[in-house]
Amino acid sequence: MFFAQLKNELWKLFGKKRTYIGFGSFVLVQAVMMLMFKYTRWETQFETMLSGNGYLAADYISALTVALIMLTPQVLLLLPLYVALVGGDLVAKEAEDGTLRMILSRPISRFRLLLVKWIAGIIFAMLLVLALNAIALVFARMLFPWKGMFVFAPMLQTFGVFSAEDGAKLYFFSSLFISMNAIVLMSLSFMFSCLNIKPAAATILALSYLFINMVMENIPFFRDYQGWFITHHFDCWVRVFQSPTQWSRILQSELTLLAVSATAFLIGATVFHVRDIKS
Amino acid sequence: MIALSQLTKKFGGRGAVNDLTLAVPRGEMFGLLGHNGAGKSTAIGMMLGQVWPTRGEVRVCGHDVTTHRAQALQKVGAIFEAPAFYDYLSGWRNLEILSHYTAPTSAARIREVVDWVGLTGRELSPVKTYSHGMRARLALAQALLPQPEMLILDEPGNGLDPEGIAEMRHTIARLHRELGLTILLSSHQLAEVEQLCTRIAVLNQGQKVFEGLIADVKATRGRVQLKTPDFAAATALLRQRGIITDVADGKYISLGEGQTIAEATKLLVGANFSVEGIWQHEQTLEDFYLGLIKRKPEGEN
Repeated sequence: MFFAQLKNELWKLFGKKRTYIGFGSFVLVQAVMMLMFKYTRWETQFETMLSGNGYLAADYISALTVALIMLTPQVLLLLPLYVALVGGDLVAKEAEDGTLRMILSRPISRFRLLLVKWIAGIIFAMLLVLALNAIALVFARMLFPWKGMFVFAPMLQTFGVFSAEDGAKLYFFSSLFISMNAIVLMSLSFMFSCLNIKPAAATILALSYLFINMVMENIPFFRDYQGWFITHHFDCWVRVFQSPTQWSRILQSELTLLAVSATAFLIGATVFHVRDIKS
Repeated sequence: MIALSQLTKKFGGRGAVNDLTLAVPRGEMFGLLGHNGAGKSTAIGMMLGQVWPTRGEVRVCGHDVTTHRAQALQKVGAIFEAPAFYDYLSGWRNLEILSHYTAPTSAARIREVVDWVGLTGRELSPVKTYSHGMRARLALAQALLPQPEMLILDEPGNGLDPEGIAEMRHTIARLHRELGLTILLSSHQLAEVEQLCTRIAVLNQGQKVFEGLIADVKATRGRVQLKTPDFAAATALLRQRGIITDVADGKYISLGEGQTIAEATKLLVGANFSVEGIWQHEQTLEDFYLGLIKRKPEGEN
């Protein structure tokens, strides 16, 4: 029964057009970025940095390097928006449309209903990240060769060069960590969606929470408390490219994010349980 | 099938349902009447475990809805005013989705119900292409899928045209007759309730002001309607002779104890009044309902 309900939840989710806004906009944005890569001299800075460190730039200006560069703004800006949009819809939109009342005239428990919805949201978030990473790589491969990978992230003191094979593995790993970030955002908007508010309000609250975390994390006064901000743990997808990789730090962050997601779900479920569902 | 005991619901400080005690026996066609905001939908919400009672107990099919909701609703179907569906999905998919919240449902069972409600041929079309009447039939189908023993219908005729209302009325009667379902019907449409239900309860401002059989409502000794060109003089004579005790609205008389229509007619004809008509006025549900609602609840100025 649980899997039949989950399958039906996925039918509902993937049956509506707005679910695909994220997928569509990733294609569009990445197509625009590819044109910029093609018609600008973006790689000059990279060439200087690589040759300054004794590497032959031509070996590392590749599909993997470009794909990772393309991912950065999308992971920071677009991905949170789209997962929050879908997460915010999961409960609040059904309440707004009246279908929630139809469902809750049936003997399913509220907790079970929310669990099915939350898992459907997780599947959506993972598929969206998978699509984002795959589209970035496919677009980059159209214009750039399959060669070594170069990663430079000064904020995290990350400078790495990898063979194509190692780079591809790390690229896959990074997508797992991006997925966790997306799941956290989806869970937060899902939690807000369980309140008696409009879907758009749930999305805005989740994004506000994200931006407040982002701002506070960067205020010097809070430097000692960075671990309390979710955005501090969102950088694992870049940290995976550090040499040597700090797996304990990554594991700590991922466990924190997992706990945040589970807590958001439980808070949402508790609030939803005590709510009156009216027409 | 349904037993509400001293059920109270307050939203903030405002009481939506106050101390409601009600029983719907198995096999009954029960009408729940009341104006907008009388507390009908809140009471139904509590029966379905969608609204938590502030106080009191709700039992459905023998189970307490607050503590054993799943067991209580296992054999219950519900239809609401303006039923909502996933418009972008087909009728069939909607039925599959909704029925799986109760129990696994076979394609054969869905086909059987689709056929019963008369949606065969349109079940694979998106619901957004359905007419109002078709949506009402789909709502009925989703309620019937779990093979319920009881249906709770909250304003099912709202938004339907007269043809749709008649169709809905026939369908409800058919459900009761052919499937033997216990039905709780909440409606504004008094004529519909009068034709369908055997028993009613009337809510006014969250309080039950009446519960009883429709037959008793109609059989209540009502007034006699008298049609004569000189109503005032005729009733003065009848009153003088002690045949009537009261007159109302320029056409109704109330007979005194032991008096009959025949006595009144004989007297009037004997006194050369032209009696164009005199008959027992059968009280309609509307008369009864309006009479109840006009009485203000206790404590209200």
